[in-house]
Amino acid sequence: MASKEEFQEQMKNGVVEYEEDTVREAAQGWLDGGYDPLEGIMDGLAAGMEIVGELYDKNEYFVPEVLMCADALYAGLAILRPHVPKKEDGINAQVVIGSIQGDVHDIGKNLVKMMFDVAGWDVHDLGRDVPLEKFVEEQLRTDSEVVAMSAMMTTTMLGMKKVIKMIKEKNPNVAIMLGGAPVTKDVANLFGADGYAESAGNAVSEGIKMIARLREMRNK
Amino acid sequence: MAELTSKERVLRLLRKEPIDTMPFFSGMGMVVMPGIKEGGFNFATVHTDPERMAWSAIHSARLMGMDSVVIPYDMTMESEAMGNTISLYEDSEDILYPTIPNKIWSTLDEVVVPDKIWEKGRLPIIPKAIKIIKENAPELPIGCWQLGPFTQAGQILELDLMLKGVFKQKEKVAEVLDKLTDMIIDIGKHLQASGCDYITLREPGVAADLLSPRTFKEFIKPRLTRILDAWQSPKLLHICGQTEPLLPMMAECGADGITVDIKCDVRKGREILGPDVLFMGNLDTYKMTCDPETPKQVAIDHVKDIIDGGMDAVMPGCDLWPDIIEANMKACVDTAHEYGKKPSPAVGRL
Repeated sequence: MASKEEFQEQMKNGVVEYEEDTVREAAQGWLDGGYDPLEGIMDGLAAGMEIVGELYDKNEYFVPEVLMCADALYAGLAILRPHVPKKEDGINAQVVIGSIQGDVHDIGKNLVKMMFDVAGWDVHDLGRDVPLEKFVEEQLRTDSEVVAMSAMMTTTMLGMKKVIKMIKEKNPNVAIMLGGAPVTKDVANLFGADGYAESAGNAVSEGIKMIARLREMRNK
Repeated sequence: MAELTSKERVLRLLRKEPIDTMPFFSGMGMVVMPGIKEGGFNFATVHTDPERMAWSAIHSARLMGMDSVVIPYDMTMESEAMGNTISLYEDSEDILYPTIPNKIWSTLDEVVVPDKIWEKGRLPIIPKAIKIIKENAPELPIGCWQLGPFTQAGQILELDLMLKGVFKQKEKVAEVLDKLTDMIIDIGKHLQASGCDYITLREPGVAADLLSPRTFKEFIKPRLTRILDAWQSPKLLHICGQTEPLLPMMAECGADGITVDIKCDVRKGREILGPDVLFMGNLDTYKMTCDPETPKQVAIDHVKDIIDGGMDAVMPGCDLWPDIIEANMKACVDTAHEYGKKPSPAVGRL
């Protein structure tokens, strides 16, 4: 049987090389060895995704590679996540996420979602082509801390402004993240959003950086 | 020297012949709300009726002083003609373009392009609208467009199937792209035979922040070239997003002109392409034309900077978002006309 370090490397490299089977076997081996599942997620899977982010920033990887790496990460997550104990107070951080009405693309949204899944948040995924008021309703229903919206097309991004206004009116403390190809940082500022991912591409980069920050925090 | 009509100006520019001043035109949608309202229509109905499509286009161009009309407005006509159901959002107060919320095909194997696709769905509306525009606005050139095969694939299949397929199912992805390439050639020829004056091949799904230049070279470029070879001139190629690494390859695809959006630096782009390539773009279609907080002078300076940077025409980098700020939109058009009297790198002046 492989050592703890070997399983960790296999998970990490399996994510980078988008080898789902390798990741699955290593994650199972990790669990069978009795190691901490959260540590496996963070130092195996998420560490791999961090390397993917670097490769993406260096233009060595592009969106197809990142999508395949994400599949490999999820293969491991499916095995490890159920074994991570819920927080003792029973309250996990929550996010409402979706692509806005008029937008039927969800690649950017799914990559940002991955970041929340890794972090162990409760993710309320509304899917795509989501009517504006649905974001507001779901935030109120779940009392989520974050609402993340994406729009891949210029022609749908203006709807975000309305949602932000509606949510902020009802609950000014909610953090709002915007992402999607045509949303520039200026636009995000204008709309009054709190977080921003410039494109499906930047969603990759930003999402992965957030994973890296999570790991830093955990290691402190 | 007498002033050229918009049609003469645009068509001469596309042949790189001297013109009187820079036209303001586009290869992509340029319908705006004032034009739609002038016809007494609402947004959801201009996609389904040839009269409304034609008149919303004519009114938009005339009210803003733009040098072309471009139809159709939405990206779902072909997908609908292949059997998918569109969502028109008729009940929404917002401006929402038709979409395909659910696709009938879930694998790459299922894609079938019907024979004579231009007779199906809403596609027959386009030639009818072209006829109405020709009769009522002979001074305006009519632009039509087709999505490129990769972007079109995203209208009929889940895009991640294609993206991952580039690695995992190369042959099947190639097969789908070939089928769509044939379809795009056919529809484009049909539009040209119906009287469209110039045609744009737009492939936004392949920008260099999504696909690698290597993948572009292997999968995309040969098909874009095949399409552009099959179409008559004038024909344009548009890619939005990060395009600087792709520009040399875009220039080899056989288009008469290259168009890009704001993510491409005008000066860098011109340097890459050299002075002889007809290069157009990259008007910011939100900040300059729609954002109520942008002063008119900022929009004017943006247009001047595009011209000074070496574009042969100031062209919206994307579909114009219809809900424009009229003063800014007109200022952009007027500035292109006034400030564009000097020659541009690829096009001289009369």
